[in-house]
Amino acid sequence: MNRTKGMNPMDHTNHDTRVLTSIRLIRLAVATTVVMIAVGAHAAPTPTSTEAELIAILQGDGPEADKALACKFAAVNGSRAAVPAVAPLLRNPRLASWARIALEAIPGDEAAAALREATGTLDSRLLTGVIASLGVRGDAAAVPLLAGKLAAEDAEVAAAAAWSLGRIATPEAGLLLAGALEKAASPARLDAVAEAAVLCAANLHAAGKGEEAVALYGVVRAADVSEQRRAEAIRGTIIAKGREGIPLLVETLASPTKRLANMAVFTARDLGRGDAADATLAAEVDSALLKVIDGAIDAASGGNAVPRAVLLIDVLAERNAGGAREPVVAALTRMLSAPNPKPLRLAAIEALGRAGDAAVVGPLLIAAADEDPGIADTARAAVASLPGAAVDREIVARLQGADAKILPVLVELVGRRRIAAVAALLPLASHPEEKVRTATIVALGPTVDLANLDVLVAAATAPKSPGEGEAARTAVREASVRMPDRDGCAGKLATALEKAPAEAKVMLLDVIGEVGGTKAVETMATVARSGDEALEDAATRLLGKWMTADAAPVLLGLATAEPGGKFKTRALRGYIRIARQFVLPDGERAEMCRKVLAVAQEDADRKAVLEILVRYPSGATLAVAEEAAKMPGLEAEATKAANEIRAKVQPAKKAG
Amino acid sequence: MSRASGSATRRGFLRGGLAAGAAVAAPTIIPSSALGLDGAVPPSERIVVGGIGIGRRGEYDLGCFLQQADVQFAAVCDVKEKRRNHVKGVIDKHHGSAACATYKDFRELLDRDDLDAVLIATGPNWHGLMAMLAARAGKDVYCEKPCTKNIAETLVHRDTMNRCGTVFQAGTQRRNLPHFAFACELARTGRLGTLKRVYAHPAGMKAATSGWLPEEPAPDSKIDDWDMYLGPAAWRPFNARTLADGFNFEKGGGMVGGGVLEWGSHCVDLCQWAVNDCPPPVEYAPPKGDELVCRYDNGCELVFREKGWIPLGSCPVRFEGTDGWVEAGDSGKMVLSSPELLAGRKVEEIGGYPATFHVRDFLDCVKTRGKPKGNAEAACNAHLACHAANIAIYLGRPVKLDLATTTFIDDEAANRLRSEARREPWQA
Repeated sequence: MNRTKGMNPMDHTNHDTRVLTSIRLIRLAVATTVVMIAVGAHAAPTPTSTEAELIAILQGDGPEADKALACKFAAVNGSRAAVPAVAPLLRNPRLASWARIALEAIPGDEAAAALREATGTLDSRLLTGVIASLGVRGDAAAVPLLAGKLAAEDAEVAAAAAWSLGRIATPEAGLLLAGALEKAASPARLDAVAEAAVLCAANLHAAGKGEEAVALYGVVRAADVSEQRRAEAIRGTIIAKGREGIPLLVETLASPTKRLANMAVFTARDLGRGDAADATLAAEVDSALLKVIDGAIDAASGGNAVPRAVLLIDVLAERNAGGAREPVVAALTRMLSAPNPKPLRLAAIEALGRAGDAAVVGPLLIAAADEDPGIADTARAAVASLPGAAVDREIVARLQGADAKILPVLVELVGRRRIAAVAALLPLASHPEEKVRTATIVALGPTVDLANLDVLVAAATAPKSPGEGEAARTAVREASVRMPDRDGCAGKLATALEKAPAEAKVMLLDVIGEVGGTKAVETMATVARSGDEALEDAATRLLGKWMTADAAPVLLGLATAEPGGKFKTRALRGYIRIARQFVLPDGERAEMCRKVLAVAQEDADRKAVLEILVRYPSGATLAVAEEAAKMPGLEAEATKAANEIRAKVQPAKKAG
Repeated sequence: MSRASGSATRRGFLRGGLAAGAAVAAPTIIPSSALGLDGAVPPSERIVVGGIGIGRRGEYDLGCFLQQADVQFAAVCDVKEKRRNHVKGVIDKHHGSAACATYKDFRELLDRDDLDAVLIATGPNWHGLMAMLAARAGKDVYCEKPCTKNIAETLVHRDTMNRCGTVFQAGTQRRNLPHFAFACELARTGRLGTLKRVYAHPAGMKAATSGWLPEEPAPDSKIDDWDMYLGPAAWRPFNARTLADGFNFEKGGGMVGGGVLEWGSHCVDLCQWAVNDCPPPVEYAPPKGDELVCRYDNGCELVFREKGWIPLGSCPVRFEGTDGWVEAGDSGKMVLSSPELLAGRKVEEIGGYPATFHVRDFLDCVKTRGKPKGNAEAACNAHLACHAANIAIYLGRPVKLDLATTTFIDDEAANRLRSEARREPWQA
C-alpha cells in the first residue's frame, strides 16, 4: 500500500481520517464495486477492522507497519482464531514485540500454548520475550518449562525464567526458585533469582500463603545476596509474620548496614497501619519503637544514637498523627525535659504537635517560654498545630492572669489557631506593652469579625508605632478578604477611606480591591473619577486585574468618558481583558468587542479584539468580525478573522 | 546493544570484564566544597544523585536539585550524546569540577553504589520501567510524569516501590504549592461540605499513540542509541521525528495515551488529593461535549473539563461541595465561593508551579525514609484514573472498574487494554 511519507499510521487523528475515508469510499462503492474490492485488498488496520481483516493483513504481503498495527488491534479484538496468524511473527525480530502485545492479551490457552511452543524454537533476546509473556499471563502450565530454563547457559534467559516464575507464584514456583538460589553460579544470576524469589514470596503472601512466603524469604535472607535483596526479604518477612515479625524489625533498626536500617525505618512507618490496619499490631510496634528510642537516649553520649532516636521519634509521630495512645504521649512528654539533648527535645516537641491533644498544652507552653529560641519557636508551632476545640479552650482560659512572658505567646496562639476569642483579645489591643499590642493586632487579623474591623483599620491608619502600623496593615488585609459579607466590609473600608490620611488611602483601596464584590466595584468607579491622580492610578490598576466581569461597565465608562482621564487606555485594556479571559455568553462577549471597536484608537487594541473574536467563534462574533471588515484600515485582518470564524462555525460540506 | 538486560543489573557484566567504555567519563577530583571544608554540607550528609534522560524539563528539575546544598549530582545518562555532554557541562559548572560521569546505558549508572537517588526525566516511554529498575537497584526515585503507561504497570510500579523500600516522588510538584494544598485541604477536611464534584483540566481528550514512521538511516548508536530509546516500546525503524519527540513517544503505551494522561497526571492527581487519595473512580463515561465524567464509589464525580475555567492559569482544578467551592490554577491564585473558607488562614501565592519545594520534600524523605507528597500510592491512584478514562475514550463507551481487582467489570476489551507487552528483553 502506498502511504504518504511521514504519515503516522497509529496517530488517532489519522485513524479517524482513514475511517472517515473508508466510510466515504463505501458510500461511493454503492456505485463502484471495484473501489470496494480495492479498499478491501489494501486496507490498513483500523480500530474497527474485523478479526478476519486483521488475520488477512497478518498473513499477507503488506508492509510491516500494517502487521504491527494489526497485532495491536488483535490485542483488543482478536480471539484464538488470530493466534496462528500472530504466532509466526514471534520469530521476526522486527515484529516479535508486536506479536507479544497480541499474544499476552488474547484470552484462552491457544495464545499461551503458542508462547510455550515458541520457547522451544527461539533463543537469546526473542526467547526472553516469550518467557516474560508467559509470566505476565501467569501461565501455571509453563512452570515445568520455565524450571528447565533456570539453568540456561544464557544468563538473560535464566533471569527471565526466574522472573516469570516469580510472577506465576505458585508454591511449586517458589520451591523452584528456592532451589535455584542454592545453585546460582554467579553473583548476577544469584541476584536475579533472589529478586524473583522476593517477588514470588510477596505474591504468595498476597494470595494468603503466608507460611510459604516466610519460608521463601528465609531462603533469600540465608543466601549470599546483595544488601538490597536482603533488605527486601527482611521487609517481606516482617510484614508476613505480623506481630512475630516485630523482633526482626527491632533487630534491623539497629543494623549497622545503612540500607538495612533504612528499610526497617521505611517498614516501621506503615506496619499495622493503612489498608491492613491492625490496632494490636500497631500498639506493639509503637511499644517496640519506644524501647528502641529509650535505648538510644540511654546511649546518647555519642555516635549515631541521637540522630537515630530523632528519626524514630519522627516515625512514631507519623504513626500516631492525629491522636496517640497514652503511653506514647507520656513517653514523648518525658523527652521534652531539659536534660535531654536539644535535637531530641525538638523532635519530641514536633511529635507532640502531631500526635498530642489538650493534655500536652501545659508541657508545650513551658517549652514555648524556653530561653532557647529554637525550642520556644518549635513549641509554639506544635501548640498551634494540635487538633481539637479542647486545645482552644485551654489556651483562652490561660489568657486570664497570664504573666508578661507567656501572654504574647498565648495571644499569638489564639491568632495562629484562629480561635474566636475577639472579646478576650480586644482589651489587649490597648495593653501598655507594645509587644502585647502588636501580638494582639496580628492575632486579630485571622479572628476579628466585621463589627470590630474598625479596631484594625484605626491601628493601620493611625498607628502608635511603625511596627504596630505594619502589623495592622497586614491584619486589615487578612481580616477583610475573609469577611463573608463582602459588601459590608467594602462599605466599612470605603467609609474609612474617605477619612483616612493621604498616605493610607492607597493601602485601603488595595484592600477593597482584594475584597471584591459590588460595593468594591462602585468604590473603584467613584475613586477612579476623584481627580486625585494617585487614587485614580490605583483604582484603574485594580480594575484592570479584577476577577469578576462586573467591572466591565465601569471600565468601559472610564475608557469612553469625556474629556476623560489619564488612564483611559488602561481602562479600555482592562475591558478587553475581561472580554478575552472570562466565561461570558457569546452575545455578551460579541457586544463587548463591538463596543471596543467603536472607541478604540490604537491598532493594538483593535487587533486584540479580532483575536478574541477568533478565539470564541460563534454567530455573534462572526457578525462583529464582518462589521469590522468594513472599518477603514481593518478590512484585511477583519476579513481574515471572519473567514476563520466562519470555517469553525459553519460545518464543511460533506463529500458525496 | 548486545545482551541488553531487562532483568539483571549490569554489575555482573561489568565484573565479568565487559566494563570497557562503561563510564564514558570517570569521576576525577572532588573540590574542597564537596568535602565540607568551606562550611558546605559535609559529604556524609549529602545525597548523591544521578540523572537519566535530562532533556528540557529534566534540566529544569536538575536546576531545582542543584539549588539544594545537600545534593551532589554525580552522574548523568542519556541515549543522546549531545544531551549527556550538555548536562554534564551544566552539572560540572555548578559543582566547579569535572566529576560528573556520563553514561549511555542507564543500567551502568544504576550499578553505582555511591548513588542514593536518581532523577528520571526521560520521555514517558521509559518512566515506569526505569523507575522500577532503579528501585530494584536500591535507588530512591524522583520521576517525571506521567509515571506509567497502563493500569497493570501502575499497580506493579506501586508494589515495586513498596517492596524495594523506595522513596518515590512523582513529578507532581503542585502537591507542594500552598494554594493547591489549601484547596485540596478544604475539600478533604469537609470544609466544602459533602464533596459532589472535582474538576480536572485534561488538555485534550483524544486517544493517541506513537506510530511506525518511515524508516530512515539510523545514526551511530554512540551518537543516538535508537535501540535504547525504544526500550520497552514495540520495535519500529529509526525515524528522526520519533527520536526528537521523546515527550510524546509512547505516552500511555498502547492506544490510550493523550492529554488525559499528560495533563491529568497533574490535575487528576490534585483531585485525588482532594478526595483524600482514595481509590480512583469506579465509572468512566466517554467524552460528551467538552466533558468526560467519572464517578467515585461514594457518588462524587471527577469531571475532565476543557472549558469554563476561571482564568487562574494552567492546570486548573475545581472542587465543589454542598457548602462551597474552590478553584485554583498555576497563577498561584485561587477563588473561593466564600471568603469564610479562608477562616483567617494566610495562603501564600506562588505562581509558575516551581518544583523546588517538591524536590526538597523528596530529599527530606530520602533522609527520613518518609513518604513524599507525590508518593507511589498517590501517583498510582491518579494514574489509574487517567488510564481508565483513556480506555473509555478509546472504546467510546462507559467502562466500570472493580476496585477490589482493578479490572473492568464484564468488559473484556477494556481489560485487554489494562496492559501491554514490553519489548524484549525489558521486564520489571
